[in-house]
Amino acid sequence: MQEPDSDPTEADEKPQRSAIYSLIHGTDLWLTLIILTVCGGLYYVTSGFDEVPQILAQNITPEWFPRLLIWVIVFLALLLPIEHLFHARGKKHLDEDRRHRIKPMAVVTAGLLTLVVASMQWLGTYLTMIFLCIALPMLWGERRLKVLLPFAIIFPTIVALLFTQVLKVYFEPGIFGLGLR
Amino acid sequence: MDIVLEGLGLVFEPFNIFLILCGVLIGVLVGALPGLSSPIAIALLLPFSISLEPVQAIAMMSALYCAGTFGGSITAILINAPGAPPAVATAFDGYPMAKRGEAGRALGIAAISSVSGGIISLIIFLIATPYLADLALRFRPPEYFALAVFALSMLATISGRSSIRNLIAGAVGVLIGTVGIHLTTGVERFTFGYPEMTDGIHFVPVLIGLFAMSELLKQSQTLSVVYERITAVVVKLPSREDFNKIKWTILRSSGIGTFIGILPAEGATVAAIMGYNEAKRWAKNKEDFGKGDPVGIAGPEAANNAATGGAMVPTLALGIPGSATTALILAALIMHGIRPGPYLLRETPEFIYAIFGAMLIANIMFLVIGLVGAKFFSRVTLIPRTLLWPSVFAFSLVGSYTYGSSLLDVWIMLIAGVIGFLMARHGFGAAPLVMGLILGGLVEESLSQSMIMFDNNWFKFFESPIVVFFFILTTTSLFWPVISPWVRKLINRNVSESA
Repeated sequence: MQEPDSDPTEADEKPQRSAIYSLIHGTDLWLTLIILTVCGGLYYVTSGFDEVPQILAQNITPEWFPRLLIWVIVFLALLLPIEHLFHARGKKHLDEDRRHRIKPMAVVTAGLLTLVVASMQWLGTYLTMIFLCIALPMLWGERRLKVLLPFAIIFPTIVALLFTQVLKVYFEPGIFGLGLR
Repeated sequence: MDIVLEGLGLVFEPFNIFLILCGVLIGVLVGALPGLSSPIAIALLLPFSISLEPVQAIAMMSALYCAGTFGGSITAILINAPGAPPAVATAFDGYPMAKRGEAGRALGIAAISSVSGGIISLIIFLIATPYLADLALRFRPPEYFALAVFALSMLATISGRSSIRNLIAGAVGVLIGTVGIHLTTGVERFTFGYPEMTDGIHFVPVLIGLFAMSELLKQSQTLSVVYERITAVVVKLPSREDFNKIKWTILRSSGIGTFIGILPAEGATVAAIMGYNEAKRWAKNKEDFGKGDPVGIAGPEAANNAATGGAMVPTLALGIPGSATTALILAALIMHGIRPGPYLLRETPEFIYAIFGAMLIANIMFLVIGLVGAKFFSRVTLIPRTLLWPSVFAFSLVGSYTYGSSLLDVWIMLIAGVIGFLMARHGFGAAPLVMGLILGGLVEESLSQSMIMFDNNWFKFFESPIVVFFFILTTTSLFWPVISPWVRKLINRNVSESA
């Protein structure tokens, strides 16, 4: 029951707001906004494509197909916040894989791998693999040095020999000049 | 007949047999390892395959594909952790049977059912592929466009949880395919000033990132998971009694699996679940299911391996992949300068028979390897994940670099991996994106050519009956999640009325 001195508009707003919340999926709304922003950016990029004479393009200009795809993606993305309404199990069905937050280990792992890739130019491919084979297992809790050290040396050496000697691939030698050629 | 013998002769060369054996061993290994799967292994094999002849590369990958599907059942039966998604349904009855001390019997039934399903589907593959290719010779650009759109829509609807998200992923894949020089006009698109991107984004680093790197990030969150293991005893071939029990299930599931495999979708997993459900529906003792019924193992195993042969049919006859793994095999074919489709069959039919031969040998090999080495393969799960996944990343790193000898490709692999990880979390499938990426060129080319042919009049698409047929199928598949409950209700009502 509504109290006599409370603001009636505020009380009316609450169920309305919860009704909107049940219609729109919050996380998916964010997803839509991200997709729309990326699509907006890409659409802008298409406006910078070189122009071609009509006779060459035959009505199919270089930006025509990418723009068509961008519009398709935009249309589909707009459906995302209300998609749960089409599923019998609603939000639960779509949220099964994102029920738990991303564990910090995944973020740190992604950071380490970025560092590994960034160091490839300076360390060279072979040393980068050794660095990876030491750093990632240690990050993931491997502390048995008797296992870790032979693995970190033998495995990258085998991979490097396989690629350079058998497949004749050129490896970045890095600042130490280790290309295993 | 000469062509068949020529094709089979290509496979029976000693080095090719060795490569098929390698493919089978890698396939069973990655299939048995939870987290690793045949798409990851094939993505990592792509850079290696450049140095091989096309027949050798595809034979090895096809063998890996067949064996990977079976490999998953070893861990599904012994540790209740399916090494690959198609083996999920095998665990329903395989693990309970193993738990009551009959692990060897369960593995034997799985192996025989899997091989039977594989061989039956290969026979259908051999018969159906030329017919489908003959039909495809009548296809013009509008028909190809409609077929590609149908393939993308099917994959979006059947795979994963959300068809809308999968459609977005497919469209993004096609959009990534537009990067580089526009073939008709020679204009650079989305290259952002990188000369390496004028040829487009190489799909090898994208595929490695989407499959291997994103799985690595997923695995980093489950480092503490420990599997309960059942010691494998000697694998036993099914007894006469068991065989009599499962023979019709094998036949039925092989038919289902091949049909599902031919449809462009996540073939093997869907086929396995349908195979299990159908086996249960036809069974006299339904209450035995889930408690270690041999029919519950034979149903999904025959279906999931039958799907591999089925999935090769549209891949080779039309150039439209039937699953994520065949999309990667298609990528390998394109890398080797071969465009699968009706002309491949017309110009080099021996290629098809070589693949048939490779898959047949692979099936026989993994029967032997599976029976003899199941005990060993069940132990691969003992490899610490702290060492296994860094090895996978080392291969990813070198593999993505190898393709174009460019560090940009390594960055693309890394970015694709992170995006793939986030996509999977939010329900966007990697398979539709891969399919979009691989079919992107075909979609744009066929649509552009159609629009030029039709003088920009969209309505002219509807003048072709084949296009209309594919558009109807596309619409049905897109709206299937909405209309399927009504169809089910209608069927149930009819059944209850007739009863």
